[in-house]
Amino acid sequence: MDYDLSPRESAWRDEVRAFIAEHVDASLSRETREVGNEGRGPRARKFLDALRDRGWWGLSWPKEYGGLEKTAVEQWIFIDEIETAGAPMLPLTATSVAPTIMRIGSEEQKQEWLPRINNAEIDFALGYSEPEAGTDLASLRTRADLDGDEWVVSGQKMWNTMAHMATHNWIAVRTEPEAPKHKGISMMIVPMDAPGVSVQPIWVWPGLRTNALFLDNVRVPRSYLIGERGMGFYYAAMALNFERLSIGSIGMARRHFRALVDEVKSRTVDGHPLREDPWVRERLARLQVEIDAARMLGLETAVALDRGGVPAAESSMAKIYVSELTQRIADTGCEILGLNGQTHAQEASALAEGRMQWLYRIAPMLAFGGGTNEVQRDIIGFMGYGLPRK
Amino acid sequence: MNFDPTPEQQELKNAVRDLASRECTPERLLAWESDPTGIDEATRRTVADLGWLGVGAPEAAGGTGGSLIDLACLVEECARGLVPRPVIGAIRAVAALADLDPANPLLTELVAGRRRLALAFDEEAARDPARHASAIAGTGVAATLSGRKAYVPDASEADLHLVAAREGQAASLVLVENREPHVRCAAVKTFGGDRQANVTYERAPLAGRIAATGGADAALRRVERRQVALALAEMVGGMDSVLAMAVAYVKEREQFGQKIALFQAVRHQIADMGTQFTAARHLAWQAITRVAAGTEQGHELATACAYVGQAFKRLCWTSHHLHGGAGFVVEHRMRFHSERAQSLCIRYTPEAPALAEVARALLD
Repeated sequence: MDYDLSPRESAWRDEVRAFIAEHVDASLSRETREVGNEGRGPRARKFLDALRDRGWWGLSWPKEYGGLEKTAVEQWIFIDEIETAGAPMLPLTATSVAPTIMRIGSEEQKQEWLPRINNAEIDFALGYSEPEAGTDLASLRTRADLDGDEWVVSGQKMWNTMAHMATHNWIAVRTEPEAPKHKGISMMIVPMDAPGVSVQPIWVWPGLRTNALFLDNVRVPRSYLIGERGMGFYYAAMALNFERLSIGSIGMARRHFRALVDEVKSRTVDGHPLREDPWVRERLARLQVEIDAARMLGLETAVALDRGGVPAAESSMAKIYVSELTQRIADTGCEILGLNGQTHAQEASALAEGRMQWLYRIAPMLAFGGGTNEVQRDIIGFMGYGLPRK
Repeated sequence: MNFDPTPEQQELKNAVRDLASRECTPERLLAWESDPTGIDEATRRTVADLGWLGVGAPEAAGGTGGSLIDLACLVEECARGLVPRPVIGAIRAVAALADLDPANPLLTELVAGRRRLALAFDEEAARDPARHASAIAGTGVAATLSGRKAYVPDASEADLHLVAAREGQAASLVLVENREPHVRCAAVKTFGGDRQANVTYERAPLAGRIAATGGADAALRRVERRQVALALAEMVGGMDSVLAMAVAYVKEREQFGQKIALFQAVRHQIADMGTQFTAARHLAWQAITRVAAGTEQGHELATACAYVGQAFKRLCWTSHHLHGGAGFVVEHRMRFHSERAQSLCIRYTPEAPALAEVARALLD
């Protein structure tokens, strides 16, 4: 048993850190935090280009597609370091869409899409959810009907983040209305400039933008249905597999926690250092312990992936733990900062750069997004402990 | 990163698991509980013959020269299978002495099970060894130990005690024969399966010294950290068993015409137990492996202490809750684990001091 990085893993971590030291500065971290997912700022784009030049968009890709085939632990190290530095994470186009096409696409589809992804000519938004299909994704209603050599797509997608910046949308559509609901769905690519596509902004609580996507008799070539007809629900689940490492990463929460700790160390209250207050010490220590626990759950997922397993239960554990812990960090952080804990990040007086109030507002999304924590707990019961489904 | 035991460690674990599942039956658990020694002679003999007592001892003493990790694998499985606490105590005592003084002739006797050693460190009014009231007076062969040690596991049955005491301004570790009138053990009824006693030493002659006179502070800290690491391993074994019992029970128990596992409220409690167990297991083993290698990078042991003991107790409460009355009868294994959980936590991993240490590392 060894809980230290191997020499190879350490060397990789050092390489990532050196890259970050060269390309990440405070202005990039601030831009990343301020814009959230409302598009990518100029600094973020430059950073992502540098990652791509380095070949790091393909960390997880097979070598035959120009990827680096990094182990899951190495990918975990990369995600952890990037999040700890406050740098933008790789786009879903690189981490979700491309690996799915590599796995399920026909040769022609791979030739058509992968080079354009690789040179950043195209970028995808992901369209799964609908007004009536959230957690119950298989109930989605957006339809695609074949008309000659074209699909005619109509319906509405929700939470279509980045759609206003993307060149294409990667959507789940119902192509087999007669089939059972899980078996009638297919994955399809829709160009954002196709007639009938429109986007409306949806502004959400922490000041971030996401979108509703409307599809009104949009015609796309027959070949834009990726993989097999009727397999879309399973492909979407597979794409989520590629997200297992990042969805349970504690890096972002730990970065904000460190900023809180630094702030506490520098504050004086009632004539004595804030860090001497017993309740502050106990609460911060408790959170630090839980952050270490969360890190272990992320590592467990990575190690299980490298053993060749499908760590569905493990990654669900990490997702639940990180999302609920982030809420506790944000809540405790706001309280420890006292009245200043409600101060908006734009105020010069905001302590810890206003991170705690921002985290407090974004944290609920981590628990209901990416598969609600109730679904995650079901997955742990079914997949991890073999509990019966009926 | 590698979370797997070596093939040899796995083999040891399997052997312990097999024996425990055969021997540690509900009837035996109840019999051991009512026995004043907490065990029977045949079981003591069996584990000595199997070589368990020698896992932490050098080969010259009849042991197998195992590492702290090997020892942790051993006690993890003992705890999972509810092997009597006096066995685990004997393994711990050999490990402590072998680490402190690998050439001590007493080791051969302990490994063979011919003699027994108790670790007498704690005092009622002092957590910090610097504040121990037990002290050594005199020098050379005339040196004697006087004082009082509290809640010493398996003290009455032991032939010798390894005692931490003040000598001048520093700590010493000495061996004392457990013989009246200089040594008196007053048994205390506790839960947790070991047989604890308050021990009074009155000008007890020394049977040996471990580490230099008045120079054992570092040695004592080292022994205590390794003992804590073994407690974490015991907790992991206990937790694994508690979780497995809960999973098995909710799959089998029917109410309202269905398995109770089908209720989401029940299923989600299993999921939370599994999550806490997984995090606890890795925090524990991270601490154990780092203590073993002497490569702790910050406060891994304190972090594990703050998390693992509490997680073990939470798992016990939840498992009791899911078992309902069925897990509340005296024969059921659940309560043995719950007792051991709190007993281990009180002695080795109390939460508040661990959090205080984490806070010091974080803030000072």
